[in-house]
Amino acid sequence: MTEKRPTNQLTGRGGSICLALVLTGFAYAQERTMPASPSAFDPHDISGFWELYFDGQRVPRAQLTDAVTKAVLDAQAAKDAKAVRWCNILGMPFLMGVNRPLDIRQGKREIVIAPESAVATPRHLYLDRSAHINADVWDPNTVGDSIAHWEGDTLVVDTIGFEPEHGMTAIPGGGFRTADSRLVERFRLLKNGSLLSVMFTWIDPKVFRTPHTYEFRYTRAPRDYEARLPVTCDPFDEERTRFLTGSPQSGNSARLR
Amino acid sequence: MIALLKTAAVVFIGFSAVQAQQVPDLEGGWTRLDTAGGGSYGGVDALFPRAVLTPEAAARIPPPAAPRLSFAENRVHQVGEPYIVTDGGCGGATGFGGVDVNSAAFFIVQTKDEVLITRENPSGRHIYMDGRKHPDSSRWAPTNGGHSVGRYENSELVVDTTGFTNGRVAFGNGLRSPESHLTERYKLSPDGNRLTVTYTWSDPKIYQKPHVYDISFERHPKGSYPIENWCDSGDPKQRQSIVPPEQVP
Repeated sequence: MTEKRPTNQLTGRGGSICLALVLTGFAYAQERTMPASPSAFDPHDISGFWELYFDGQRVPRAQLTDAVTKAVLDAQAAKDAKAVRWCNILGMPFLMGVNRPLDIRQGKREIVIAPESAVATPRHLYLDRSAHINADVWDPNTVGDSIAHWEGDTLVVDTIGFEPEHGMTAIPGGGFRTADSRLVERFRLLKNGSLLSVMFTWIDPKVFRTPHTYEFRYTRAPRDYEARLPVTCDPFDEERTRFLTGSPQSGNSARLR
Repeated sequence: MIALLKTAAVVFIGFSAVQAQQVPDLEGGWTRLDTAGGGSYGGVDALFPRAVLTPEAAARIPPPAAPRLSFAENRVHQVGEPYIVTDGGCGGATGFGGVDVNSAAFFIVQTKDEVLITRENPSGRHIYMDGRKHPDSSRWAPTNGGHSVGRYENSELVVDTTGFTNGRVAFGNGLRSPESHLTERYKLSPDGNRLTVTYTWSDPKIYQKPHVYDISFERHPKGSYPIENWCDSGDPKQRQSIVPPEQVP
C-alpha cells in the first residue's frame, strides 16, 4: 500500500492535469464554435426570413419641397416605369418592400439582406466600419453604402451613395431618392422576436421639407421556411411589355426602340 | 482511477466532437484565382479534369446551343455588313452562386441556421445549417441550383446539394440530374486569406467515378464592397451594332 501511494498520487495529479488540459481545450474549442442548438430570443440577432404582410406598413404622406413639382414627379415616375419595363435592378427602397420574404443574415462583420427578387441585388450592412467608403472610391449603386451599429436593442443603419439614374427611385409616401439622399433605418425586434420593425427615415433637403419617416413591420417566417427562386423577369416578353406599356406594339418592336 | 479515466474519455470525446464542428471564418468577399494559368474562363475550364461519363450519359450531351443573335455567328462579316455585337439582354437571376463560378466576386455570411452566399447581381444561395434534410423529391421542383444543406467537419464547411434540373456542369464536361449530388468542401488556408472549394459530383447513372475538381479564391481586403453588376436591356448602347469599315490596303 505504501509503495503504491506515490504512484496513485502521481497518477491522480497527472489525471487532474490531463483533465484540466482537456477541459481547457474543450472550452477553447467551444468558444470558437457556434451554438449547436437554436438559442433563445436574442434582441441583437435579426437573422431569419422576414415577410411583409399587407398590414405591415404605416406610411404617412411625405412633405415635399416646392422644387418637387408635378412635372418633376411625372418625369421621375416615367424613369421608374422604364426601369420596371426593362427588368433593371430596382434597388432601394423597392427591395425592402418585395412581396416575398427577405433573407436577413447577421454575421460577425456584416449583415446581408437578400430579397427573393430577380431585380434587386443584396444589401450589405457593415458592422465593422464606422465611416462610409470615401466618395472618390465608392461606385454609386441602387442600394448605397450602408454602415450599421447597435444602440441598445436597436440596429441603426446609415446609407448614402445612391445612383440616382438607376433603378426604381420612388419612396413610399412620396418623393424619390437622389445622389444626395441619406437613409437612416432603425431595426428592432418586437414580440419576443416574432416581429421586426424597421423605421425608415429619408433625409434629402432638395426633396423633403422635413425628414420623411415611415415604418414597416415584418413577420418572422417559420423555421422550416424554404427560400424559393425569384420569378424571372424577361424584358423581351411581348405580353408583359404590352401589359406594362399599354402599347399594342409587339415586344420585337419594343426591342428595337 | 477507472472513474477518472472514464470521465476523461467522456470529456475527450466531447472535445473531439466540438473540435470536429469548429467553424472556419468564411465571412466576406472572395474572388476566384486563376492558379493554373488558364488565362480566360474557357482556358481555366480546359484545365479541369474531364468527367468520366457512363456511355448512356455521354450520349445525352447536347450539341452546342444555337446562337441567339448574329454576334455569335463566328464568321467574318463583309465590309458594310452590319451585325449586332450583343442582344442587350441581361440574363435572369438564377438565385445560385456556388457552382458556376466565374470571375465575379461572391460573398459569404455565416449564421447558425444558414450560410448565405450572394453575388454582385440579384442572387442568394441558401445553405441550411439547421439540421434539416433535403425535401422529398415529390415536394421539390428541381432548380439550377438545387437544394443545399451544410455542416462543419474538421474546420471545413461541407455542403451537400441535390435536386438539380437536368443540364450541364459548369466545368469538366459534366452533367447533372435531379438525382445528382454535389458535395462542396470549403477549406481555409492557415492565414485565412485563401479559400479552396473542392467540388465532387456523384451520380452513378452519369459518372463512372465521381467528378472532382477544385477552385481557389482570395479574400477581399477589409473595406472592400460589392460592385453592383448593372445591366440595362433598355439601353441602346447595349445593343450596339458594328459596321466593319472598308480596309485600307
